Amino acid sequence: MEKRNTSKVMTAKEAVSRFVKDGETLVVGNYTEGSPLALIFEVIRQKKKGLTLFSQSGNMDAEFLVAGDCIDRLYSAFVHKWGGRAGGSMIERYQMAGKLEVEDYTNFTYNAMLAAGAAGYSYMPVMPAIMDTDVFKKRGFTGDRKFGVTICPFTGKKVPVVPAANPDICLLHVQRADKFGNAQHWGGLGSTVHACLASKKIIVSCEEIVDHEIVRSSPHHTIVPDFRVDAIVKEPWGAHPMELPGYYSTDLDMLGIISYFNAIEGGLKQLMNEWVYNLPDRASYIQHYIENFGKPVLDSYKAKPYYSAPTNYGIGTHSLWDDAGRNISMNVNLEDMDRLIIEKGDLVND
Amino acid sequence: MTKPYTKQELIVITVARQIQDGDNCLLGIGLPTVAGAIAKHSHAPGARLMMESGIVDFDPLVPPMHIADACCSEGYSYAIDLFGMFTAIAHCGHLDKAVLGVAQIDRYGNLNSSYRTSSTGEQQRITGSGGAPEFISYAKETILTLKSGEFVYELPYLSSPGYFGGGREREESGHYPPGSGPSILITPEAIFRFDTDTKEMYLSALAPSVTAEKVMSRIPWDLKVADKLEFFPVPTDAELTFLRRFSPRSCFSNSVADELTLNGTIEKMAKRQAFLERCRAAAVEASS
Repeated sequence: MEKRNTSKVMTAKEAVSRFVKDGETLVVGNYTEGSPLALIFEVIRQKKKGLTLFSQSGNMDAEFLVAGDCIDRLYSAFVHKWGGRAGGSMIERYQMAGKLEVEDYTNFTYNAMLAAGAAGYSYMPVMPAIMDTDVFKKRGFTGDRKFGVTICPFTGKKVPVVPAANPDICLLHVQRADKFGNAQHWGGLGSTVHACLASKKIIVSCEEIVDHEIVRSSPHHTIVPDFRVDAIVKEPWGAHPMELPGYYSTDLDMLGIISYFNAIEGGLKQLMNEWVYNLPDRASYIQHYIENFGKPVLDSYKAKPYYSAPTNYGIGTHSLWDDAGRNISMNVNLEDMDRLIIEKGDLVND
Repeated sequence: MTKPYTKQELIVITVARQIQDGDNCLLGIGLPTVAGAIAKHSHAPGARLMMESGIVDFDPLVPPMHIADACCSEGYSYAIDLFGMFTAIAHCGHLDKAVLGVAQIDRYGNLNSSYRTSSTGEQQRITGSGGAPEFISYAKETILTLKSGEFVYELPYLSSPGYFGGGREREESGHYPPGSGPSILITPEAIFRFDTDTKEMYLSALAPSVTAEKVMSRIPWDLKVADKLEFFPVPTDAELTFLRRFSPRSCFSNSVADELTLNGTIEKMAKRQAFLERCRAAAVEASS
């Protein structure tokens, strides 16, 4: 039981140093949109080592963590080649150099491992076609535990299964949260909910911290409840240069620069010296951006509002007593109640 | 007469024409999403475009860069998650078409996007297969596109099932909905289809001014050719205008698009620099 009276708000520095340990398994909660890059930069800055990473779409998250020498093993369904087809990616370079082991899953089978973990199951059935592919037949560092096959007790058919995954720590960036940890996200969901719920510890960064009342009036946006969250970090522009619906678009200028550096061997490390290691936190990263490119450039990526239609959760019956103080079904007032209790109640004798 | 158009425009519009009004259509990133947008804004306004992150029935504002891109979530009908997208939609038979890009393909439409053998003999990561294996398995039909990918005699790694060794092999495995699998492969040079009985890929159409010999020179097996070749469609002005506004990059080869983008960025940066310097000078002047 966790009492809801304490704020979990802290800095990225504190959250990462308290909750991310060398050698742990880390999952990037966001699918591809709203990458938790402020938290990831902090992991790199604190030089965490020997991590196993779950990164479904091997986006900038995985590229930076690998280039930061934080990762030994990677569960992957896709790797974005930021340096282009020829320039490749850090993941590819590290893998070829024998510094990174990669286990190959598909988006669905990767998600199914986390869905099993989130549900508290030890495995999850997946679709039979996977058995015909090399994704199933060829095994990387998970060996025999990559896939299994079981028999459906109802149809007698062979069913491929994946083992449950329960990462030690999930990093997630969302639009808003309350100080207790209720995290609200909207936009492309991917496997985000399963990644969070499967994890043992969760660090959430958010653009805004809002009143608990805001959360209560929009529960459909809450993707992780407070009692599962360990830390809340307020980080405006916390996903930059990736986008977040309602706040900002993908920063094409910054992406262009990253791609340019990534196409050169050792380029990303050079970029990271300037943008990760030499800056203490996300606020100074944004300040550094403004000094380099100007505030108008940053502002040009700010979201134009497109509001969801307000959702009316209201109901008619707020009380079993009407305005005149009478119970709406028994048609009695409180004084009548006292009398009826004496007359008809099953009184406790002393 | 339509206005002049490029090879790259022709392939995107040819792919767009495969999408029909009312289709539940899963789109891979890149060419497929651009084609989907064209279809939605021309002949198939009622097509439900979907991305595997669970963004269902979207209409992209700009070409998405990844499969949960926020440019697709400003207005869409159904917010499901990835697990539901694959299970409740694809596996349960609600996906009419999947449109997917190809890294490597063999003669029976099997795909590899996971590993290739490097020049030094190592297993080199391509990108990974993402959602392709399950979509090509469970969509009622799969449209394939190939721009910079390659035809191979034998795949070093089979990540997505086509027709395996051909004939009834896919059907007889019992793992796939009847009639599913790749139906067409569209490249800038040609259209390929799959024989009804043998399931072997054959040449079905040649792009204007492309010869069968040129196409065959890229294919490491004895390619069969249809008795009667079909024609590539002729893009309409409306399709071309939409495409050029929606995704200027898609109208050029990658190298030309990169060059134009780089030059444009440098020009923009120089203008910004000049603007900033003017501001600085004005500030100095004002303070003195």
